[in-house]
Amino acid sequence: MTRALLVTGGGGVGKTTLAAGLAVTAARRGIEALVVTVDPARRLADALGQVKLGSEPVRHPDEPRLWAAMLDATASWRAIVERHATPEAAARLLESEFFTAATGHFPASQSYAAAEEMAVYLEAKVWDLVVVDTPPSAGGIEFFTAPAQMADLIGGRLLRWLTGARLPGRQVFFDLAARPALRIADSILGSNLLERVAQFLMDLRTTYDGVSRRAKEIERLLRRSSTVVVTTSDPSPMREAVRFFLELPEVAGRPAAVVFNRALPVGWADSHPGRGVPTALAENLERWGAEARHQADVRLEFSSRYRAPLATVPWQPTAPTDLDALQALIESAEGLPVTDLGVG
Amino acid sequence: MIERNLVIVSGKGGVGKSAVSAAIALLAQRAGKKVLVLGMTPGPGLAAHLGIGSLEYEPIEVRPGLHAAAIDRAKALTEYLQAQMGVPQMARFGPLARAFDALASTAPGIREVITMGKVLYEVRQRRWDLVVADAPPTGQIASHLVAPRTVADLVPTGRIKGQAGWMDAILGDPERTGLLLVSLAEELPVNETRETLAWLDEHHVIDVLPPVFNRVLPKLEVTAATVRRLEEGPVRDAAQLHRSLYDGQREWLDELPPGPRLPYLFGVNTPGEVAVRLSDLLETP
Repeated sequence: MTRALLVTGGGGVGKTTLAAGLAVTAARRGIEALVVTVDPARRLADALGQVKLGSEPVRHPDEPRLWAAMLDATASWRAIVERHATPEAAARLLESEFFTAATGHFPASQSYAAAEEMAVYLEAKVWDLVVVDTPPSAGGIEFFTAPAQMADLIGGRLLRWLTGARLPGRQVFFDLAARPALRIADSILGSNLLERVAQFLMDLRTTYDGVSRRAKEIERLLRRSSTVVVTTSDPSPMREAVRFFLELPEVAGRPAAVVFNRALPVGWADSHPGRGVPTALAENLERWGAEARHQADVRLEFSSRYRAPLATVPWQPTAPTDLDALQALIESAEGLPVTDLGVG
Repeated sequence: MIERNLVIVSGKGGVGKSAVSAAIALLAQRAGKKVLVLGMTPGPGLAAHLGIGSLEYEPIEVRPGLHAAAIDRAKALTEYLQAQMGVPQMARFGPLARAFDALASTAPGIREVITMGKVLYEVRQRRWDLVVADAPPTGQIASHLVAPRTVADLVPTGRIKGQAGWMDAILGDPERTGLLLVSLAEELPVNETRETLAWLDEHHVIDVLPPVFNRVLPKLEVTAATVRRLEEGPVRDAAQLHRSLYDGQREWLDELPPGPRLPYLFGVNTPGEVAVRLSDLLETP
């Protein structure tokens, strides 16, 4: 069975690099591993052998068990529509003036596209491990709520209210005259905008059965996946990490680890430069020591409050940009339960 | 910067937009200005940097002369329909709001025009000397800046179209409005900032202020040879890490047009302290 490992967390914490590192480590331990990234840095994409953006996994030229794919949300949505909408509706949807905006703007649409891609890779049964670098919105929490949100949105009350439709597929009657609120909205907006949107939503409605069935399958897959939450000790990613413990629906279970990236040695916190050290260097140790102390305080508070299994990854002097450095990054981690994560 | 009426702050996720927004607001407040700082995205970041728990739609005074609020789209829509569209108070807002909600998740520009509209409306009312907008990340900033035009193109007729004019006038006036991009000296934030600057250069929707680099490391005034001669231990390890990270940052600092540089704040504990320190630093560059 293919295992899924979700790497989540706020923006700028090094999620993509750690996801890549985990996949490289697994591949080098004999595991057929695919890493799905969202927006990798050029150098990292190069290291992974990713030549262009695309959902088609590419095997690494020098590392035969390592595969990489990049998420393209609009392309995924095109596939979802083609798979689930009726042929006539699909043709209208793909041509629609609203298609790009809607698939790019639905709050959960990028996350849903990523979850759907993940499901496709898991079902392909080609890989032992699929590592997913989740889209940055809301620190990855949305990744878990997206399937239900999408099913709700497409089949939801909003559309029924707007169109008066009760059953999918039935001819609906868009009657402005009978709906005072719609009449006001229509006069403000003009240009039959509401009618155009209603038509779009009705077409999208034809994907409802497919998407809601799919959403349930994806939720089942997510429940069986392992999750790590990546953070630094900065307040903003910390808030995202905390949300995982406070808001995450049952579907995700508890994270297997909270990974503090860019960790400094605890020993720096209480060390003194000693005699004869130039002032600039003594001051430098004092600065980094203060940062190390701050980090340790943040980790202690987090672990005592949420009883989360913690891991730390040392702050790297340079960003890892080749396979050896990516593997070394994971090997330098402390407290990372690599075996439990399916990394070997 | 604080002489304008509106400063919109954006940048890639995680670069410190909210901290910089709060710092600019504090700086203007200390200069005696009447300031409103507005959170355009949900999340407690801005509130934390102002040293409070959460923000409401109605501005609250966090310091004398400094007010803060967060935009709630449903409330902004109600205010917009009443104040600007002349929809009478007794109109049933529930159904109307639902119609707009359907639009906001489907039609391009509607969601953005409601949020941007609230920011620009506060500027138009002239209740404040300065409005600071803690804006969505750079990935979404373009769609917000062109939202009035997007909506006007979407609906060639209808009353909402007439709103694009005054909104564009405030956005496009370099005397009144500026966009501040925040970046880090790293590959992804610099590339995203560069792409955004190129887009802005082409579209001329807003005057662009010199971009800010946040978390810039200071130069360590010792030679590599001195570091190498040190005994093994924290002094040497900290010096080596610092030098590598500093060199890594140098690569990216010249890749953006010159602008203010804010230093890395070592061991600063609360978001509130971060904003106060940054505002001091903005005052004495």
